[in-house]
Order: sequence, then C-alpha cells, then structure tokens
Amino acid sequence: MSEQEEEIDLASLSDEELVQQMHDDLYDGLKDEVVEGVEILLERGWEPYRVLTNALVDGMTIVGIDFRDGILFVPEVLLAANSMKAGMSILRPLLAQTGAPKMGKMVIGTVKGDIHDIGKNLVGMMMEGAGFEVIDLGINNPVENYLAALEEHQPDILGMSALLTTTMPYMKVVIDTLVEMGLRDRYIVLVGGAPLNEEFADAIGADAYCRDAAVAVETAGALIKRRHNQLAAMAS
Amino acid sequence: MSRRQRRIRREDRTGGFPQAPFAQPSIPFPPLKVLSDDQVEAIHQASLRVLKETGINFLLPEACRLMHAAGADVENGGEGPRVRFDAGFIDHYVAKAPSSFRMHARNPAHDVEIGGNKMAWVLVASTPNATDIDRGRRTGCYADYADLLRLGQMLNTVHVIGGYPVEPVDLDVPTRHLDAIDAMIRLTDKAIYGYALGRERILDAIEMACIARGIDHEILAREPSILTTVNANSPLQYDKPMLVGILEMAQAGQPVNITPFTLAGAMAPVTVAGALVQQNAEALAGIALAQVVRAGAPVLYGSFTSNVDMKTGSPAFGTPEYAKAVIASGQLARRYGVPLRASNVNASNAADGQAIYESMMSLWACFLGQTNYLKHGLGWIEGGLSVSFEKVILDAEMLQAMAAFLAPLETDDAALAVDAIGQVGPGSHYFQSPHTMERYESAFYVPILSDWRNFETWRDAGSVDATRRANRIWKELLASYEPPALDPGIGEALSAFIARRKAEGGAPPL
Repeated sequence: MSEQEEEIDLASLSDEELVQQMHDDLYDGLKDEVVEGVEILLERGWEPYRVLTNALVDGMTIVGIDFRDGILFVPEVLLAANSMKAGMSILRPLLAQTGAPKMGKMVIGTVKGDIHDIGKNLVGMMMEGAGFEVIDLGINNPVENYLAALEEHQPDILGMSALLTTTMPYMKVVIDTLVEMGLRDRYIVLVGGAPLNEEFADAIGADAYCRDAAVAVETAGALIKRRHNQLAAMAS
Repeated sequence: MSRRQRRIRREDRTGGFPQAPFAQPSIPFPPLKVLSDDQVEAIHQASLRVLKETGINFLLPEACRLMHAAGADVENGGEGPRVRFDAGFIDHYVAKAPSSFRMHARNPAHDVEIGGNKMAWVLVASTPNATDIDRGRRTGCYADYADLLRLGQMLNTVHVIGGYPVEPVDLDVPTRHLDAIDAMIRLTDKAIYGYALGRERILDAIEMACIARGIDHEILAREPSILTTVNANSPLQYDKPMLVGILEMAQAGQPVNITPFTLAGAMAPVTVAGALVQQNAEALAGIALAQVVRAGAPVLYGSFTSNVDMKTGSPAFGTPEYAKAVIASGQLARRYGVPLRASNVNASNAADGQAIYESMMSLWACFLGQTNYLKHGLGWIEGGLSVSFEKVILDAEMLQAMAAFLAPLETDDAALAVDAIGQVGPGSHYFQSPHTMERYESAFYVPILSDWRNFETWRDAGSVDATRRANRIWKELLASYEPPALDPGIGEALSAFIARRKAEGGAPPL
C-alpha cells in the first residue's frame, strides 16, 4: 500500500486526472485536497458550475452509492460531505456572480414539541454535501418560525422532521397554513423521521417522505429537476 | 489511492463472510447458579441413594464383571445386569476423572481445550433428516452429509465435528461408519467423532483417528483425538453397544461424553429436581465405569435433561425447565470436577422464530452455566430429527454474537470517554467526534445475518427475512468451499484401511 500513499502533486495532473483524484479525495474525506483541487481547476479557467458538477457532485454521487449499499460508515460519509462543503464554500460566491444554475436551497427544522434532531442534522449535512444550501432552524419550531424562514430565505425546499407520533401531526399544521396562505406550491415539502411513512406524507400533503439522509438527497435532487422542467415547459 | 480504497472497502464490507477467526471463547464471569450449595448437595445425596437402593442396569456382562471386580454390588454373582454402588465407590472413581483435556485435530490450529472456563462449539449430530427452504425435508443422505461437513469446516464457529451432522442413510450400514469418518477426515481438519455402536465400529473409528493424525496408540492415549457420546438408555440402564463404547474408548484414553437421556415426564421424573437426581445417578455410574477401565480417562458430564410435552409425549427443548437443568448440571459437573456437555437445542419443525427463541434460551443457559462442550451448536431443529441448513447459519450468527458478548467490557479512561462527552456536549451527536472516528470500524459486533437497514430499503430489496438470507449464505459458502490440505500418505493409508475393512465386510449387525 505504501507506494499508493505517496504524496500526489495535484497541480501536475491533467484536468481529467485531477477530477478523478478529487472524486477519490472526496471519497476519503480529504478536505484540504478537495479545496486545493477546486482552486486549481478555477485557476485553469474552469467555470465554477463545471467544477461543481464534474468534480464535486459527481464525486459525491459515488459516495452516495456506497452509502446506500452499506459500504461506507456514517462518519466516513460525513467526512466526505464536509469536504464537499469546504469546496462548495469557495464556489458559492462565484456561482452567484456567474448566474450559474443553483443546486438548490433548503430550510429544515424539527417541528414544535420535538427536540429529536440527530436525523435532521444528518440530512442537513448530507444535503450540504450534495451542494445544497441549508438553513437549519434547529428544534421545536412553531409554524411562525417556518414562515419567517421561508420568507427570508426563499428556499426551494422545506424539510420537516419529527421523532414522536405525538409531534408528527404538526407537520400537517405547517402545510395547511402554507395552503391557506397560498404559499404551498412555491416549495417542495419533504418530511422525515423514524415513525413516518409514505402514507403519512401523502395524507398531510407533503411532496415526499424521505426515509434516510441518502434518500433525502436523492429525492431533493429529483424533485428540483422535475420542478425546473415544469417551469421550463410552462415558459415555452 | 482511493479508487483502490473504494475497491478494497467494497470487497471488505460486502464480499465474503464477516466471521471472526477460529477461537474458543472463555467465559469471563463466575458460572450462574440456580441451586444453593445445599440444594446441590441434596441432589448429590439423592442420586447416591438411587445408585445404592435401586442401582443401574448394565446390559453388557463384561462391564458388570469389571464393576464387580472394582467393588460394586453386582447381582447374579457379578454378571448383572443390576449394579448398585455405594457412595465410597462413586467418590473414589469419579475423583479420578480429569477436569480438563485437550482434543487434538488433524490440524493443530483446530485443537480444542475441553474444561475450565473454555467452550468448544460442536456441529449438530445424528439427525436422520436434512432440510432447507429450497428442497424441503428429506431422509439424510451422503450428499447432504458431505455438504454439512463442508459448512462445518468453513464456519469458524464450528470447533469440533461432533458426529454425523446428518445420518448418511443411503450408505450401507456395515460400512457406513468407514465412509462417514473418511469424509469427516478429508472434508474437515477439525477434531472428530466416532459412534459407540458396537465394538467394531468404535475400534475402526479409533484406528482412523490414529491414521488421520499419523500417530500410534501410545501417543493417542496421551493426545485424545476422537470423541464419542454414550447415552444412558434412561431410566437407569446402559445398553451393550454404548457400554462397549465406554470400555474401548476409555481403554484407548479417548473422551467419552456420558449423557443420560432424561426427558422429564417420560424417561425421568416429572420434576426438574427429580430428573436431575436420575441424570446425576446415571452420569456418575457411567463416569465411574470409564475410570474403572482406565483411571484418568477423559469424560464429560452430559446434561440432556429437558421435558416432554405432556399432551403429546413429544420432547421439548429450549424450555425454561431445560435452561434450569443445564445450569444446575453445570453446578453438579463442577462439584465432581468434570467438564460439562450441554446443547443448543429446540423443538421447532422449521428454522423459524420458535427455533431461534428456543435456541437462544438454550444458548444463554449453556453460556451462563459454563458449558465446556456445546453439542448440537449449529443446525439442530425438530428436537434433533432434522438438521436445517439455514439454521446452521442462524446459529453461527448467534454463537458469534454470544462470543462478542463475552469480550470484557473495557473501562479505561479512553473507554469511559469523558473528554468526548465534554467535547460533544448537550444536543449534538457523536458521528464525527474524534473519539468515534478513532474507533467506529471495530467498535461494534459485525453481524453475518442481521439486516439493520430501514424498512423501506429492506422492502425495496425484496423483504428478505433472516432465514432466506441464511439460505443465500450457506449456498455461497458451499460454492466457495475448498478442502483442507491432507498429507497424501495419510490419504492413502486411510483408503487402504477402508478397503481392507470393507473387504472384511465392515461391522456386523448390532
């Protein structure tokens, strides 16, 4: 293994090799190397959006597959997500300047009466790891908190979590309020938490139930893409 | 480097079979007691009364004469069959039994210690039928027999081959033992077993054990290399072929697992205490005979006491009564300084929930009662009338998990983790704590069967339950089986011995 471990000079790699190496470094959760790779690609004149999609998002897709298949441990996935997030922090202002398409923005929080947030935190980290901007409202959120955050941040996605069968009905309160205010269609609403299931998500009018963090990322990506397509179809 | 890492991780974490290395567990805590010391003494004294007042039938005159010469009270001028013992005789001879011994396998890495706080796990034995969820239940045959031996070789949770994992009923009776032991030696390199079914069979087994290890009888006597079980034909009698087994095996210095067949309500009193009294009387008589034959001959105190279903008469296993009997038997065995045999048993007709909960009940009793020789450790269902291929794997999981349970609980500063608790603080999580990062890969037992994914992921993957996962695993294991190395000279000597014995006609009918 030793010959495999020797220091690699990222700057000496071709673009293609470097992107491959960045996928590997993401997989291994090597934050500094990922940041360095992003900087090198930008110096070489890559569009920030191309760096994001080819180097980071594609790399995280591999991580997602191996997480789904039970190859990776949670701490390893979080290390990868943190590395992605570090690369993303360089790209985010540049993406805004260039008017590149956005991955998406999410407001997420645990509902009123519930302080169980470890699953919600994992979803937040994994979403950031996939390139989403995440605004985390924390725990015990009444409907007013969600409304204020939606108003302020204008996200694509609202995520709600609950661990208790006694608090999960509050998700419906939030969604009903959005419906009453005519805001429901502006957001993709994702819900999650151990006692939930697909039927519950349907019954309360959410867009999807996400059974785990990996599925949340997958579902968010798919629904945002569908939404863009719908908007494009409406425009044409 | 990481594409390589990814490949390695994928192979490590999905491919193969995540089993722990071959290792005998030690029970780190004092054995559980279900009886007070006074109660143990009461059972001991009661069994001495049975031995003196009622006695035991030994159906082999040769054994009766030996007992008579040693000072036992044998009717008909020493011809028997009834043999009565006084306390002094029992104390004197039982005290000669060793408290532990080493079983030698043809591969020394698979030698096992029998005694002390060590456990040896033994593959299921002697079932007339085999079953799996693809093919259903069928009469035992050589093909299944060989496949089960292959699994026994591959599974590190199998420490000893303790009999035929299924009876190869399609083999001719007079020579069955020759072909069966031949397969045991060639398909596995673990410690082996011969059946006490008459003099020729057990002598052939002893001879084949010598050939397998390339040793003579003198070394064999110092290095036990083949084990047998002798069951009392309860209540209160030992039949001829079994007694011959005691005589020949003890003479050769080979271990005899003396196991009364005390099923409470049918072959023993309906009370657990009464069944234990009878078990103890029968076991002590058998152990004493082995010591009369050869002082210091290795023996096991066998506990098989369970109850029958009083509505049908069928044996039940893994019952609360069985669990108490096993733990009490451990107390008795240790009183006499003899290793304990007990079993991982159940009476379910399928490798289902009943099979598992009755087995787990048995296993906890066997572990807490400090069982040295865990017979039927893997594969047994249906009260011993069938071996289930799936249950072999289910048991491998349970045994491996039990071994992990026995690992000592560390409480050094790093394990107490006060710094990590302080660093994480209230309301956060430990998934990324440095304390976690240093340990997560090996912190917990890695199961071979348990599926811990969430419901939807499990459902989307086909809702495969544990029995069906076990089915996939045994098939994968068999597909990757490779026979252990065998010295060609030993293989030839074995073949020559078998050819000669077959030419002689094998063993006569019992």
